[in-house]
Amino acid sequence: MPPLLRGMGPADVAMLCLLAGGIAAIVAFAREVEAPFREAVRIDLSPAALPRYALYSLSRGVTALVVSYLFALGFGWVAAKSAAAERLLLPLLDILQSIPVLGFLPGLVLGLMALAPNRNLGLELAAILMIFTAQAWNLALSFYQSLKGLPAPLREACQIAGWRASRTFWRLEVPAAAQGLVWNGMLSMAGGWFFLMVNEAFQLGGRDYRLPGIGSYMSVALDQGNVPAMVGAIVVMVVMIVSVDQLLWRPLVVWVEKFRLDDTARGQVPTSWVLEFLRRARLPRRVALVRRRVLRATAPLVRPFRAAASPLMGRGPLFRPSPRLARTGRAAVVVAIAAGAALGLWNLWLLLRQLRGGDWGALAATGGLTFARVMGAVALSTAWALPAGVIIGRSPRLSTLLQPVIQVVASFPAPMLFPLVILLLERIGIGIGLGAMILMVLSGQWYILFNVISAVSAIPEQLKEAATVFQLSPVAQWRRLYLPAAFPALVTGWITAAGGAWNGSIVAEYVEVGGRLQVTRGLGSLISETTASANFPLLAGGIALMSFMVVGWNRLVWRSLARWAQARFGMAQ
Amino acid sequence: MSATELLLDAQHVTQRFRLPNGQVLEALRDVSLAVHEHEVVALVGPSGCGKSTLLRLLAGLSQPTEGSVSYRGQPLSGVLPAAAMVFQSFALLPWLTVSQNVAMGLEARGMDPQAQRDAVARAVNLVGLDGFEHAYPKELSGGMKQRVGFARALAVAPEILLMDEPFGALDPLTAENLRSQVVELWRDAATGVNALIVVTHSVEEAVFLAGRIVVFGTNPGHIREELANPLPYPRRERSPEFEEMVERLHAVLTRTLLPEPEAAAPSAPQRLVPFPRVHVAEVTGLLDHLSTQPDGRGDVFDMAQNLGVDYDRMTAVTRAAEQLGWVTTPGDIVQLTLAGREFLAADAYSRKATVRDRFAAHPLSARVLTMLRERGEEEEEEGTEYGVIDEDDLLADLTIHFPFIPAESLFATLVEWGREAGLLDHDANSRRVMLLES
Repeated sequence: MPPLLRGMGPADVAMLCLLAGGIAAIVAFAREVEAPFREAVRIDLSPAALPRYALYSLSRGVTALVVSYLFALGFGWVAAKSAAAERLLLPLLDILQSIPVLGFLPGLVLGLMALAPNRNLGLELAAILMIFTAQAWNLALSFYQSLKGLPAPLREACQIAGWRASRTFWRLEVPAAAQGLVWNGMLSMAGGWFFLMVNEAFQLGGRDYRLPGIGSYMSVALDQGNVPAMVGAIVVMVVMIVSVDQLLWRPLVVWVEKFRLDDTARGQVPTSWVLEFLRRARLPRRVALVRRRVLRATAPLVRPFRAAASPLMGRGPLFRPSPRLARTGRAAVVVAIAAGAALGLWNLWLLLRQLRGGDWGALAATGGLTFARVMGAVALSTAWALPAGVIIGRSPRLSTLLQPVIQVVASFPAPMLFPLVILLLERIGIGIGLGAMILMVLSGQWYILFNVISAVSAIPEQLKEAATVFQLSPVAQWRRLYLPAAFPALVTGWITAAGGAWNGSIVAEYVEVGGRLQVTRGLGSLISETTASANFPLLAGGIALMSFMVVGWNRLVWRSLARWAQARFGMAQ
Repeated sequence: MSATELLLDAQHVTQRFRLPNGQVLEALRDVSLAVHEHEVVALVGPSGCGKSTLLRLLAGLSQPTEGSVSYRGQPLSGVLPAAAMVFQSFALLPWLTVSQNVAMGLEARGMDPQAQRDAVARAVNLVGLDGFEHAYPKELSGGMKQRVGFARALAVAPEILLMDEPFGALDPLTAENLRSQVVELWRDAATGVNALIVVTHSVEEAVFLAGRIVVFGTNPGHIREELANPLPYPRRERSPEFEEMVERLHAVLTRTLLPEPEAAAPSAPQRLVPFPRVHVAEVTGLLDHLSTQPDGRGDVFDMAQNLGVDYDRMTAVTRAAEQLGWVTTPGDIVQLTLAGREFLAADAYSRKATVRDRFAAHPLSARVLTMLRERGEEEEEEGTEYGVIDEDDLLADLTIHFPFIPAESLFATLVEWGREAGLLDHDANSRRVMLLES
């Protein structure tokens, strides 16, 4: 055996396989993207085709995530560095992350299709962008907040060391934000799956658009009432979520532990069997060894070039704009963004002008209906998730046991189950009017559960002991200790759950079951219907109204409630 | 004492916990303690000796793995209703006002609202919190918060008051003020408090409060000695009798914390002792401090007080310096040895070499080094390399030899000293320990 390969174990083989698999996946997906455009791809419902479809869907999700990360780094950096940009970008982010992104699908599709009319590229790009819009905002916010929260001495140390901005970025700012970026990436990935079915198979102006993927597979299976195919799609989806969690996120979560800024030890250190396994591999060390040898061997050849380039690679930026120029540049950027926003508003106005008085009345009525369903869904979710969260959070054993399971279940795109749930509800005599609300529960409930569990498990041990020593009855323990302690987190959960329910309303009020359309009056179904019939003025009105209601409610109600909850029931003493 | 009635009786209790990493830690082994009426008992000892664990067993907050706890002859099942507890971290509910917090224990006792209000007013008055009834805990200083903790405990008119380092989180001035009040409260018949049990880290506090002082030892937690403190109340801290009592407790603690080396037969194999979990800089700091003292010697408790560290930490540092041969400890005196003076006089390079030789000779590190040298000697053994060992293997070995010490913290100490000595290194990414030898 050559010395470089000695001692190679199964971990090295696994690493090579992963590498090869990754390359093969990229090639396969690239071929799909470059394939000639067909409006509605025929979906092969045989189980053997499922892995390929899952791969396509996964590739879209991962591509969108990469784009989201790039966006987040840029957006967060600009917002953190420039006060002017901060004032403009933060409210924008707040709005973007709370409005229903699905409504923008038609515009995106039509625009991007025009880019490459003869290839799948346009449709693929539209699907990826749609996933991106569900993934990017929390990442950007997380990076911005990490940058803002960086201790000043660290930044000063980098300045004194004479680091350039790019070096500070990669050596300080990104590592310090790594933990938040990974955790939010996990959430983003789950959020990106939510509209999987709609992104891969939708109707626009009476035309069917379809991309090969596990979402379109499921939607065709539902159309044809093919139960084995539905089960297959659900199983493969779960397998995909679990594998991504185990192979990608778990190892990343463990790995980014080393970028924690505070030195305090934490109770539960996350572990990952995949990372443990791969750490046994010798391949990376061998590769590093070979690289070092090559560098050493080529050093004499490179040295003259290095010497020639050294004046260029000195300290400090190559080009330092004068303060006046920098100010002008910043102003130009702000003006450009403002102009873009103004143009968008003007176009929206042109569309909305076409609406008649009756349309406005219909919009208001449907808005009220969906609002009632959203609030009902939040209340229903609270009714079960609050007690369940307290019970799970109280017991360390139960929470370590159930957390991973709940995480996977929560990542499963609920809309894939909507048609099945509707059939089930029909059987027990609940129509789509009420059923839509139950579907919206499915899209928002997990946020409440997660938040309550983490808040209750963070209650200091001595507080629980005090409640026991002073013999609080079980009812009093809930009333005095657990519910107040969980309340601030519950409000946070409500905010996200309501967001999820609004988003879910678009697919929950307009469900296709076995070739039959099940529609109930509401703002969500209005958006879906106007998309299908390409009624753009009314669609624009629907999206505008929903955005307005979500953002307004966030500002007026949720935010002040959250502030009050934190002040009154926060743990900080 | 035999005339008074037995209140709380812990008989042969043993308590074991399972740590998150799976290690089963024995916190207490075969501890028996009887508390009689009108007694104040202080539990003292180094951290990790199980004194807080015993307090929780007496409160009925947890049940012993072996043995039993009884109250007035009745075996305890669940929380002891006759007791109330004061916590180090105060454990107040932040969303309740002072009076709501004080009333916490009253609902369970089935009092009507009027009686509850009276009890709260009385307790608030006893600890001097009048005027603060409607404040929230976050508006109060640490001392005021602990007053609320005391009021909450007194409101239920407990027969037994359990206190878990009640002054530990307070500044010295506040602590002193509250301490005298506690004695007055106990002596005041109106409070109904019959017995006090206090866990404390401070020698002065134990002597000031307790009629009986129970000294705990570690590995696993057990009772070393009991000391009767007959000084009459109220006690004055600067009085000669008080000082003498403090000295006596110091002597007992020294026997526990700095035991004289056992006279083992020269041929017997050296017993494996754990290395104290202290940092390199702390040991050099102790040596530096000793070198400024006349004759290079000092009293361990005095030095702890002067340097502002607690005696528990101070004795751990002293034990480490002793194990490396830099000090000797006759009684509670720490004496710099010749080797210690040479170490201080040396330059950085020879210091490193000295640490290397001394640490390599310590039985525990010697064992670890042998493990590393033996590893991977057999050529081509699957998955092993010479001088490299998995962190988990070493942790498992430490767990077997020291079942009463959290293996991870002992491991961290070994790595720190091994790195300082240039004997071994640790790769946190691959979780492996490597021998550094030519």
